[in-house]
Amino acid sequence: MAAASRHGALRGAVLAATALAVVSLAAPAAAQAPEGHGIAGFWSMARGAMPPRRDPTPTEAELMALLPDDAVVLADSGLNEFPPGDYGGLAVHEHLREAAKDYDPAEQTTVSTTCRPPGLIYSMQGPFPIEIFEGRDLIVIKLEYFDLVRVIFMNETEHPDDWPHSQTGHSIGRWDGDTLVVDTVKLAPGTLFNNGVEHSGDVRLLERFRLADPDTLVVTQQFEDPGSFTGIAARVMTFERGDDHVYPYDCDPAYGLSMDSRQGPDTR
Amino acid sequence: MRSSLVLLLLAATGALAHHSAPVFYKVQERITVSGTVTEFRFANPHAILKFDVVGDDGEVQHWTAETTSPSILRRRGWSQQSFTPGEKVTLEGMPSVDGSYLMRITRAFREDGTEIGLPPGTDN
Repeated sequence: MAAASRHGALRGAVLAATALAVVSLAAPAAAQAPEGHGIAGFWSMARGAMPPRRDPTPTEAELMALLPDDAVVLADSGLNEFPPGDYGGLAVHEHLREAAKDYDPAEQTTVSTTCRPPGLIYSMQGPFPIEIFEGRDLIVIKLEYFDLVRVIFMNETEHPDDWPHSQTGHSIGRWDGDTLVVDTVKLAPGTLFNNGVEHSGDVRLLERFRLADPDTLVVTQQFEDPGSFTGIAARVMTFERGDDHVYPYDCDPAYGLSMDSRQGPDTR
Repeated sequence: MRSSLVLLLLAATGALAHHSAPVFYKVQERITVSGTVTEFRFANPHAILKFDVVGDDGEVQHWTAETTSPSILRRRGWSQQSFTPGEKVTLEGMPSVDGSYLMRITRAFREDGTEIGLPPGTDN
């Protein structure tokens, strides 16, 4: 896409996002009842285990059947995380495994790091809700987690070469029947697993969103990053509709000071 | 107010997450601590309660109690007004790994025994 038309599309996206925000402020949460393809609204991660920790539901199975045959489906969706040195069967490159041995998770709570958002791929399967706004030319996904906002361009078919890397990257989407297919690149290096391994800026994420019923949304991730691991990783997650909006996160780095200033006889 | 420490071993496992509880806390143990609130900061990523406890030796211990995200807490009935400086509270939670006066709240009670909101959880 030419730069001029892309910038025009971006202005349109901003205007549309603003309009969506105005609509959402003016209307009660219930007014977000499904329109368009029905995915708009407030969604929270369903409680309990996700595949492959349990058998998939019919819709989960349908989307899992669309994953590449050799994809490694990670068992850390939702509230589960892998301990140090465990990468869920993914062939993480040796140099990253070695580097992860020196990782200290306490570093997440310093003043300078505590408000640094985890990577988007990781954040999408975290415990915080999301809110989806569906427009004609774009879909906006607000994550409560660290106030991340994703703009999915439905009116673009190629990723611009000069798009900057960021926490949310550049996403283009299309509807394949009843399934929203989203392709994302230009993600800044970020959390792959919360145990010291990060993906590179070359990671490519493909997501599928499909309603199992009006109040149940199934999402799959598949992502590749040849510089970080061999093959394809995947996750499966299910969200439940709620009558709410995501709250501002407004992360306060002073949390790090509170942790550092703790007192006691054996402190550090 | 005197400190009241009760140690329980629980079978539950703590979920890891960003700002992981197991980094700072013994997630399978529980303590109960009573003290006087000095400060409550209701902000992400995790709300922080400061409170003072008079130890058995008469010395004042300055405690820090961490909860989960205010985004989650609001939906469980918590707010910036959940604690007032000067009020006496009793907190249940995970003890610190390093022995410092630090805990992760799993339940909170006013002096009359009234529970403050729903249990905050430890999943984020």
